[in-house]
Amino acid sequence: MAQVVLKDVVKNYGPVYAVNRVSLTVEDGEFVALVGPSGCGKTTTLNLVAGLISMSGGAVTIGDRDVTNLDPKDRDIAMVFQNYALYPQKSVYKNLAFPLQMRKLPKEEIDKKVRDAAKTLDITHLLERKPRELSGGQQQRVALGRALVREPRVFLMDEPLSNLDAKLRVQMRSEIKRFHQDLGATIIYVTHDQLEAVTMSDKMAVMNGGFLQQYDSPANVFANPINMFVASFVGSPAMSLVPLTAVSKGTQVVLTSPEGWEMPLSDANGRKALSATSNKVVLGGRHSTIKVHKVQVPGAVPGKVYTVEPTGDVTFAQVFVSGATVNVSVPPGFALRPDEPVFLEFDQDRMHLFDGETEMALRL
Amino acid sequence: MSTGQAIFRDVPDPPAPKRPSLGSRLVKSRTDYLYVAPAILVMLVVIAYPIYYTIELSFFNTPASLALSEKQFNGLDNYVTILTSSIFWKVTWQTIIWTVVSTLFAFLLGLGAALALHREFAGRALLRGLLLIPWVVSAVAASYVWKWLYHSDFGAIGALMVQLGVTDQPINFLDNTTTSLYSLIVVNVWKEFSFAMIMLMAGLQTVPDTLLRAAQVDGASPWQRFWHVTWPHLSSVSTVTVLLLVVQNFNSFIIPFIMTGGGPVGSTQIWITHIYELAFLRQRWGVGAAYAVLLFIIMMTLGYFYVRALTRGDDQRAGA
Amino acid sequence: MSSITEYRSGGMGWRWAGRIFLVFLLGFTIMPMAWMLITSLKTGFAAMQYPPQWWPTEPTLDNYWRLLDPSGSVGQDFLRYFWNSMWVSVVTTVLAVAVAVPAAYAFSRFRFPGRTFLFFAVLLRNMFPAVVFLVPLFILMRVLGLVNTHGSLILTYLTFGLPLAIWLLKGFYDNIPIQLEQAARIDGATRFQAFFLIVMPLSTPGIIATSIYSFIGAWNEYIYAYTFLTRHDQMTLPVGIQRFFSENATDWPGLMAATFLMSIPVVVLFLVLQRYFVRALTEGAVKH
Ligand SMILES: Nc1ncnc2c1ncn2[C@@H]1O[C@H](COP(=O)(O)OP(=O)(O)O)[C@@H](O)[C@H]1O
Ligand SMILES: [Mg+2]
Repeated sequence: MAQVVLKDVVKNYGPVYAVNRVSLTVEDGEFVALVGPSGCGKTTTLNLVAGLISMSGGAVTIGDRDVTNLDPKDRDIAMVFQNYALYPQKSVYKNLAFPLQMRKLPKEEIDKKVRDAAKTLDITHLLERKPRELSGGQQQRVALGRALVREPRVFLMDEPLSNLDAKLRVQMRSEIKRFHQDLGATIIYVTHDQLEAVTMSDKMAVMNGGFLQQYDSPANVFANPINMFVASFVGSPAMSLVPLTAVSKGTQVVLTSPEGWEMPLSDANGRKALSATSNKVVLGGRHSTIKVHKVQVPGAVPGKVYTVEPTGDVTFAQVFVSGATVNVSVPPGFALRPDEPVFLEFDQDRMHLFDGETEMALRL
Repeated sequence: MSTGQAIFRDVPDPPAPKRPSLGSRLVKSRTDYLYVAPAILVMLVVIAYPIYYTIELSFFNTPASLALSEKQFNGLDNYVTILTSSIFWKVTWQTIIWTVVSTLFAFLLGLGAALALHREFAGRALLRGLLLIPWVVSAVAASYVWKWLYHSDFGAIGALMVQLGVTDQPINFLDNTTTSLYSLIVVNVWKEFSFAMIMLMAGLQTVPDTLLRAAQVDGASPWQRFWHVTWPHLSSVSTVTVLLLVVQNFNSFIIPFIMTGGGPVGSTQIWITHIYELAFLRQRWGVGAAYAVLLFIIMMTLGYFYVRALTRGDDQRAGA
Repeated sequence: MSSITEYRSGGMGWRWAGRIFLVFLLGFTIMPMAWMLITSLKTGFAAMQYPPQWWPTEPTLDNYWRLLDPSGSVGQDFLRYFWNSMWVSVVTTVLAVAVAVPAAYAFSRFRFPGRTFLFFAVLLRNMFPAVVFLVPLFILMRVLGLVNTHGSLILTYLTFGLPLAIWLLKGFYDNIPIQLEQAARIDGATRFQAFFLIVMPLSTPGIIATSIYSFIGAWNEYIYAYTFLTRHDQMTLPVGIQRFFSENATDWPGLMAATFLMSIPVVVLFLVLQRYFVRALTEGAVKH
């Protein structure tokens, strides 16, 4: 296993920058999720690490080797593709054996490794079948098997679970995680599903528009999103964002809405709000940090219920606040009706403030 | 809502990596050329050289022996000879009739067959196979069979028409200037309609069933469904098919050459057979070459549209 | 009536129109082939009658025996032509596939400078009539010392088989997911190994189709064979048959038997492998 370092990696197709100066370090044995919306450059980044496409700029090192100009075969990596890319004409056995054959291992050793991998993944009974005779989940296992027969230095996975149905996906998620723990493997895992990234990874790299936005542990990304994009991308339901205006009133700073209501900020939050480039400040809050009241309480802001979605344990609701939609949750007993006026109290210690101009989180 | 990209609004894109020079790109993709080199090499020898040679020849007067050392430059004389000869216009007109009528009927028969076959039924593959036979048998065989069918004394078609009471006497299809060209066109259509058929059958598979169903639910008649749903989906295949048919017909040689040799009295002479006659039978190499150059120009024009129709969307496929 | 396909075929009336049309078309298609077969079963005398015998009163296979009898002079010639045609067609096919496969792959996958130009050049080769190349190629063959050899035909057929072969195969490669090669390269294959070990076996249907195409084209070719070969022990079937006919102008049954025998290999090959052939032809032509 080995460390992977991307330094100022750029890939452009003419004027389109698929990957724009991405730098990140994946430590030895770490599970890093590359996450972002479709088209943000995840696959391209992974392919650059793999050496499948040539770089327009920057460098990649694996272990202590600069692999920027190496062929994929010389990088000692394994990859799992979204569509599995199993060789259709080869049996499962031959699919698993192929990487070993390419490395000219002796026949008996190949056989042993293939059977070991098959056993680990519980696909021994499928060895003689052709890929098209397998279900999606089985194909997925074979693809995984082909990656792990070889004990490479790094595993690259490009949305390996996105073609599976929901139930299987959850199951495979924990298997991959388990497999990471057992092997201590270095894994770069691409997904567009932030939940997958949060639940599986040691660190997540959030990308958008070819840029790396934030690279940190899921807990930190969740707790301290660096900007509005990350804030709204990570977490489900998404963090709610309400654009407001910051105004100093004597010693206190308040956020005001066009409708005329005011929300006083704590000292710390007030100082953050004043550090913004203009008086435009965006208030952010996750549903778990917002209290819902049926009557006005100090500091709460008025809103109107839009939809109510009971899920059993907890009831989610969307509330219109100053033109924005705010996601809240209430206990199942708490009756809410559409169009009912409510008052939302944001937790001062756990609320987020963003610069309305730069969209960056305001920090002290 | 927020787009996130905006936060890097002030960060300029890195300077566009310099477009690598042609030289370095050539070097970088040198192994790519290994794959195409054999094909290109063969084609160069057998295409580029003849093209060059033909163009050169068209400006010379060359002795019948083709002794090139004795050739004489005569400028555009060969071209002038062609364009001012009365046979040129006759042959051109016949070529147009031959090409247009053959293409039209081959396409229409092919379209009809494709539509009729676009439905699962027992024996469909067999029927398709049988209809394709004329297209795979050699044009030489086809020409002889049809020549025999058209035979003035013992031909089956003439006899059949008399037996059915269509005519009193067997028609002399091939030895008659009014029927000869059209008789050959029938053979040509017989030979190539099934090409249009399979092209269009493939095209029909791209017509989404859901659209046709939706149109039916909306109350469209079969004709309206064809015209508004099916036909628009066929337009690109149709373009390619018609272009290929036109090219193929313009270039036909074997059927007129074997069946009538261009006769009687030149009534089935088309460009290609005429060029052949000029060059190989009358040894007027220069004039033949000039004809060939004119033909190039026509073909390149058609070729432009052909390539455009074929490569539509080709560059969207990946591969970095 | 199956309502599932109704929207395709129109109403009952259209369906019947379609059936009648197909019957008519089948008649038009089959009639000449049938007449070829019927005539070939007649004696010379029986063929020359008016009105014709629609079915031979005394069917005979003599015409075939004569063509296939290696001890007779007609049989000797015919079998030699047949063998020549087979040899030329098989060699052409093998070479065309060997050359077209890498080229088609490169055109499908790589973006090298000049790719578009070369590809257009390849496609445009389809547009040129054989006759235009006759004189220069004849001279070229003289220079290369290939006149009156099968090499001259093979080289020529190769060039006009190649564009189509490349186009057909490119259609196949375009449809093979690029991830398969990427997987192979990550598994330790070089680019060439990825192509040769993974992609090439997958394009077998395309290779089969291309081979049939190339074989049929070479088998049926007439003009070059007619011009390049003057020694009759070198002739291929189309030319040989013509020679046969010009010497026996009225032996229609013999000629029909010869054309029938000449058609057998291509028709059988085609009918057996029809699905590959049709698929390949349409793979490239129809973009989704
Ligand atoms: N071969 C290519 N040519 C041109 N643009 C490409 C190519 N490959 C990817 N792109 C562009 O690069 C961007 C990132 O693509 P990708 O890495 O596949 O996104 P993701 O995997 O995050 O969905 C997209 O806008 C895509 O259109
Ligand atoms: Mg992707």
